[in-house]
This record gives sequence, C-alpha cells and structure tokens, in this order.
Amino acid sequence: MSPALRSTKCLTLALLAAALLAPAARADGEKAAAPLFDSGSAAFLSGDLARATASWQALVDEGVASAELETNLGVALSRQGKRGLAVLHFERALHLEAGDDDARADLAELRRGNVDRLEGEEDVGGEALFRLLAPLPGSGLALALLVAWTLAWVLYALRSLAPRLSARLPVGAAAAVSFALAGLTGLGAAGAAVRYQLALRRAVVVSPAVPAREGPQAKAVSHFEVHEGTLVRIEDAEAGYRRIKLQNGLTGWVPAESVEPVVPPAWGGLALR
Amino acid sequence: MRVRARLHRCALLLCAVSLLLPAAARAAPGRDETEFTATVDRDEIALDETVRLDLTITLSSKGDQGELSPPPLRDWDVVGRSSAEQASFTFSAGAPAFKRTTVTSLTLSPHKAGPLQIEAARLTFKGRVYTTTPITVKVLASGQQAGARGPQRQQAQRDPPDDPSPLRGLDPFQGMKASARDLTLRAVVDVEQPVVGQQVTWTLYLLARVSVSQIDRLQLPKMDGFWTEEVEAPQQLVSEARVIDGVPMQAYLLRKRALFPLHPGKVVIDPAEVEVITGMGMLFSRSNVKRESLPITLDVQPLPAGGPPGFDQGNVGQWRLSASADPIAVAVGQPVTLRVVASGRGNLRDLQLPKLPNIAGLRAYDATSTDKTGIEQGKAGGARTVEQLLVPERTGELEIPALTLETFDPIARQYKTLKTSPVRITVAPAAVSNQAAGQAQNLLAAGGLRPIRLRLRQQGGGAPPWEQLWFWPLLLAAPLLVGGGLLSARVGRALAQDPSLVRVQKAAQAARKRLRGAESLLEQQKQDGEDPAPFYAEVSRALAGYLQDKQGVSAAGLVREELSRTLLEKGHSKITVEKLVALLDECDRARFSPGAGTTTAQAAVLQRADAVLGALDSPRPASVRKGAP
Repeated sequence: MSPALRSTKCLTLALLAAALLAPAARADGEKAAAPLFDSGSAAFLSGDLARATASWQALVDEGVASAELETNLGVALSRQGKRGLAVLHFERALHLEAGDDDARADLAELRRGNVDRLEGEEDVGGEALFRLLAPLPGSGLALALLVAWTLAWVLYALRSLAPRLSARLPVGAAAAVSFALAGLTGLGAAGAAVRYQLALRRAVVVSPAVPAREGPQAKAVSHFEVHEGTLVRIEDAEAGYRRIKLQNGLTGWVPAESVEPVVPPAWGGLALR
Repeated sequence: MRVRARLHRCALLLCAVSLLLPAAARAAPGRDETEFTATVDRDEIALDETVRLDLTITLSSKGDQGELSPPPLRDWDVVGRSSAEQASFTFSAGAPAFKRTTVTSLTLSPHKAGPLQIEAARLTFKGRVYTTTPITVKVLASGQQAGARGPQRQQAQRDPPDDPSPLRGLDPFQGMKASARDLTLRAVVDVEQPVVGQQVTWTLYLLARVSVSQIDRLQLPKMDGFWTEEVEAPQQLVSEARVIDGVPMQAYLLRKRALFPLHPGKVVIDPAEVEVITGMGMLFSRSNVKRESLPITLDVQPLPAGGPPGFDQGNVGQWRLSASADPIAVAVGQPVTLRVVASGRGNLRDLQLPKLPNIAGLRAYDATSTDKTGIEQGKAGGARTVEQLLVPERTGELEIPALTLETFDPIARQYKTLKTSPVRITVAPAAVSNQAAGQAQNLLAAGGLRPIRLRLRQQGGGAPPWEQLWFWPLLLAAPLLVGGGLLSARVGRALAQDPSLVRVQKAAQAARKRLRGAESLLEQQKQDGEDPAPFYAEVSRALAGYLQDKQGVSAAGLVREELSRTLLEKGHSKITVEKLVALLDECDRARFSPGAGTTTAQAAVLQRADAVLGALDSPRPASVRKGAP
C-alpha cells in the first residue's frame, strides 16, 4: 500500500471515529441532566413556576444546551411576566434548532404583546438575511463538506494511483460527484457561517424599559426608550454599555445588563466588556 | 251586581296604593343616607404601639340612634374609648335634612406581631343590620419602626389624640390667633405638598364672634389647574362652637371641595369672598360685611420616578381591584359577564382600568363602564365597574387571567400593583336542541403558549465546526496528503527507471537536438563565413550518438563495412544503412578538408541526416527486432 493510500485511510478512520464518539458523549450528558430537567417539569406542572425556572436555569448554567430546555424556560418565564427573558430563551432555542416549531410559535405569540413597534426603514441589521439563512444546518453542512471533500480526494488518489482498480470501477465518476457534493455543501456552510456571524450580534432587551442614550454614559441625552422583548443588534461595547441598533436603524447606548446576547459566550458568542 | 262590587274594591285598592307609594318613596332616601364605616389611623404599627379604630355612624334620624355592636377584637385589647356626636341641618332639593354623625373611637393594643384583623362591627338601625368591612393591620415586632401609615395617622399626630371630632386633621383653627375682627373668612387645605392626582381638601370657614344672620353672596376662586369635586355645600348656616386662642367663636362651614392637581409645580388658589349680614331681626342692628380669605399656595410634586410599566398617570389614589364572572359554568355560545370593579379613594374619572387580553376560546365584546362616585369622610372616591360580555367558543376549562392595575398611593407614597384573582369558567357543550345549525361546538383557534416539553435532547451548543481549531487543518489534510502522495509516487517512478533505457528512449530526441545545433552553426556560418568543420562535426556526433544510444553500435570503433553489417543484422534496410554510411563519410571528408562544400550542400546534409534518423528510428519488423536493445 502506498503512503498516500495509507494516509487517506487514516484520515477517513479518524473522521468516522469522531462522528461516532460525539453522539455517545452527548447521550451521557443527557443522562446526567435528565433528573434536574424532570424536576423542573414536575414543578412547572404543579404550578410552582419559580422552582421550575430555577431548576432549568441551573441546567443552563451548567452548560447544557438544548432547544427543549430553552423553550421550557421561555414558557415558564413568560408565565411569570418576564417577557424579555422569555423572548431571549425562545431565540436561543431557535439558535440551537432553527426548525423548532414550538419555540417559533411561542416567540410569535409573545411578540404580539411587545411594547415597541418599529416604524420606518426595515431590516438595517440584516434580519431578513438571517431569517433566510436560518434553516441551514450549519454544523451538519460543515461536517458533510469535510466528508465529501475528503472522500473526493481519496477517490481521486485511487484513480491516479490504482489504474487497474479505476479500470474496473467508476472511481473517476465517483470522485467528480464527491467534488460536486463538496461544492454544494461548501456553499451551504458558507451561508450558515454568514448567519452565524449575524447571530453573534443579535440580542434581546431584558429590562422592562431602558432609555437609549447618545453615548455610553448615564448623563448622555436619551432620544428613545426600548422595552423588554425587543430584538436588537449589538454594534459596539464600551465600559458597561452596549451600542444597540434596532431593525429600523435607530441606534443608542444602553447599560450592558439591560440586553442579553442570543448567543452566550459559552456557546461561542462574543465576550464583550 | 257582583261585578260592580269587585270593580269598586279594585278602585279602592288602587287609591290606597297611590296614596302609600309616594310616602314610601319619600321614606326611601332616608334609609339610603345611613352610613356606617370603620377606619383606622394606621395600617402598620409596632407591637408596643396602639391603633385607633373609628366607627362612624351617620344617620338621618333624630331619635333612634341605632344599636352599635363593636367588633369582637380577639387579637386586640381596648385601652381607650371615646365618642363624639355632631348634628347638622342641610337643605337638599328644597327640603330640610337632618344629619347626625356619631364617632366612636377605640384605642387598641395588639396581642402579637403579624397581620391582625379587626373584625366587622355591626349596627342595627330600624330593623336593618349594617356591617363594616374587616380591617387588617400589620403589627411589627416591638421596637421596630412602622413603615407605611394610613392617612388618619398623619392627621392624628397634629391633633390632640383624644379629639373625636370628625374635623380632626382638617383643623382650620390650629395655630390661629384670635383676630381683633369679629368676622374672619378662613380657607384651608389638608395637604400643602400633594403629588399630581392626590386629593387636596379645600375648606372655607367663616369664624364669627358676632351673630351671623345670613350669607348674602359667596364668590369662590376659579381653581385653575385642578379637577374639582364638591364635597360639602351647606344650604343653611350651621355653627360649631370653637375656642380659638382662648376666645369663644362660632365656626360656619361654607364650602368643602376636593381638588386633584393636574400638573406639578406651584399652584395658587385665589382668595374667596363673602358678604355676610350680621345682627338678628329688626330689634338688633343689622350690617353687611365683606370678607376675603387669604390665597393658598400649593407645591404640587411630580409622581416619583420609576413608575412600573403600564402605569397610567390617572391611577393615583387608594384603590381596590376585583374581578368576577357570572355565570361561571355555561354552555358553548352562552354569554358570560365579566365584571371588573375598582373602588376606593381618588379621582375616579381619571382611573384607567386594565383591559382584558385576547383569550383563546373566548370571544370578547366591547366593554361598558359605569361609575358610582361618592364622598366618604370628606374623601372623593367611588367605584368604576367595567362589564364585558364574553362568549365561550370551545368546551372545557377557560381561565380569565389575573388582571393587573398599577397605581400610586399618595399616602404611602409608593407605587402599588393591584391584582385580581384568575377566574375560571367551565364550558360544556350546548344541548343538541339549543344548538344553532352550523354553529361550532368546540372552536379550536390557534394561539397561546404551547405546553412544555418533557424530554431533554442536548445539542452541541458550542461554536460551529468552522470556528473550531481542528476544522481547517482537517479540510486541508486530504488535498495535501493526496497531492503529496501523487508527487512522491511520480518521483519514485522516475527514480526506479534504468539510465540506459532512458538513454535509448531519448536517443532520437538527443540526435535531433544536435542536428538543430548544427543548423544553428550553419546559420552562423552563413553570417560570419566561418569554417564549416564544426557543422559537419556536429552532424557526425548526432548520428554517432544516436547509433551508440539507440542501436548500441559504436560508429567510432568500427570500420564502415562492420558498421553496415551490424545495422543490417539489426533489421535496418540496406538503403538506409548505405545512406548513413555515405553521410558519415561525407561529414568526415568535409571536416578534414577545409573549404570543401557549400552552405547549400550543408543544408542538404542536414535534410539527409534527418531522413536517415527518421528511417533508423521507425519500427522494424518484429522478426528482426529480437535481440535489439
């Protein structure tokens, strides 16, 4: 066996091992988190919303990322009247699983009661593009790209190095198909990457009401106020303040604690000052 | 005859009814004027403090005073008791009305800390029983500072604690020095620094040391910047004896108004004017005297910052909120009336009640609002009732969620959130006979939050693969490895080849390269006229090199006959061999005979050399190729 063939074989085996081990590790995590999740569900069903929220929030703090967990938290917070935090958790559920129908419906229901109604030019922050690209399964496409791309090169190597095998089997055609597949998945992954970059800047107003100021100071002039549940885009950060932009282009500085990014730092989100 | 007698009896009955009904109608307002209230001066006290409970009975009866049953007071000790009575005549709608107010004050000491209840008191009057609303007082541990205090508490601190007068806290004579004048017009307010929307009670008194016969003219100020409500407007002069700075005087209440400031800032209430006729009848001297009160400046405070979301500026006062539905069990399509009632003290006209949100499964019709204003102990207030018709569209349990009203309590100086209890309605399918054709029995419209999920499924919440360190090296690994592999294979193949074989393969190419070199020499010779010997030498080397590399024949080491024979044995044609030998001979000759040959001849030699090389390199018959290199 030639050294090239040996290398490609090792590479393929490593990819397969990684693909097999990842779900196993995830299943172990689910097993560990299940008791606390179930305890939260029981508390919710018995009407103890505060305890349900505390249980589920503890799982989130432990780093458990789950669309179901985020959706449940959103429902519990919404029932307690914490609209801003509820919207945040529904957005996070959709970030984890863009096709989560429950989270999408609950979010739409909650947004119907938003205090802020935006007027004027729409979609300054690329929200339409974000929604267009939202269904793309970014991680899946990236892994598919990796597999298709590697397979294409392996087949190409076979065609070049083992002419007798390629005379018997359509190795060349398979390599061409793999390259085409890699191109398609690459395009999809690029779209998902654009969406991810947009997602990193998305945030939700969690304070009941907060004045947006002209500068990152409490004394700066305020021209408008935003209310909980409104989706904004974080443009900049400065010493305890965030420069936010609304979808209609309105921009102002608000205290950092009044907005929460949809993608927290634990999920690879921006770590802002 | 019997018919006539029956008609006669009916006519007599109708007459009796027509005579009795007006009497009953006149008597009816008398019953409505009975008021029985219980108030405390503080709603939060320490364990070692006392609270005063005032039981106020207002009757329109001169004789019967009713029977008062104080509350049982299980958690309290009665440490003091006093009572006071005040009577007044007023003219209402041209008829005189008598009103007597009795205030029974109980000073209570709590048994223990915690929220303690003062139970309802009872009044039995003319066969009817009146009860007060139970009052809850928060009792703190001994030595703690009581926080929120009731309105009466602030007034009680200014007044003598045992003064049972209903006018306490609004004492216009406090701190007043006896005037040298016999008549003084005095306007007072109970609050000098109210917040926007808080009631300020403005009262106008006439103080007299002489006999007052009547009020000839009373001019009240405009009260700009306030919403006003009339509290008392006596039609007849009623005096109250007071001792002011040691001087006995008669106090006449002329007007009492509730003012609700509309804007923050300094607001001036202009003076009032009155013309009074003094003296009694014809026997005593009568005179007409004009008096003016002093202006009053109020410092109206804005509402404190940090109002809760949904707070409306008009919701200032001490309000209670309740919600009820009737009936609470219905069939689909049958109406339910939701009744939301806000009652208490404050400016009822500005009160904004919460609106019912959209409820899945309930169709809501436009709400109607009714107000019942009133004055209780000098405070404006009343009740606003909003009724809304709801029609269930689906079966099962429907819940009307708790409604929230954000208010500002000007006495406690804090925002308060009033909340109703959720109301549950049980909806059953309509009976088949009552069901209208085509009407839905269970209309399931979309909307509302969805139920929670009970199964946890974890996702990789971290950064996506392309943000990970391993992704790009792994992506580049395949092309790099495959490219490296192919390159190394090619190099390996090149290294594994026999040099002599390479030489054989490249012999014709090398020979033609030399012929091209000879051609260059020829071109140079044409230009410079140099010696042709190098040209011929190069052609000779091209042919000899080819024979050496390709045919394995050394032209230098063999005579021409041996060369010819060897090539013929290798299968080359005789003509080609002869041409080769001739060409080699010609080259040798030209190399060693300077000046021989022309450039034309040299060009011909080149062509012939090309042709011979082509003939030697062309495939030979298989039978003669055996043994060839």
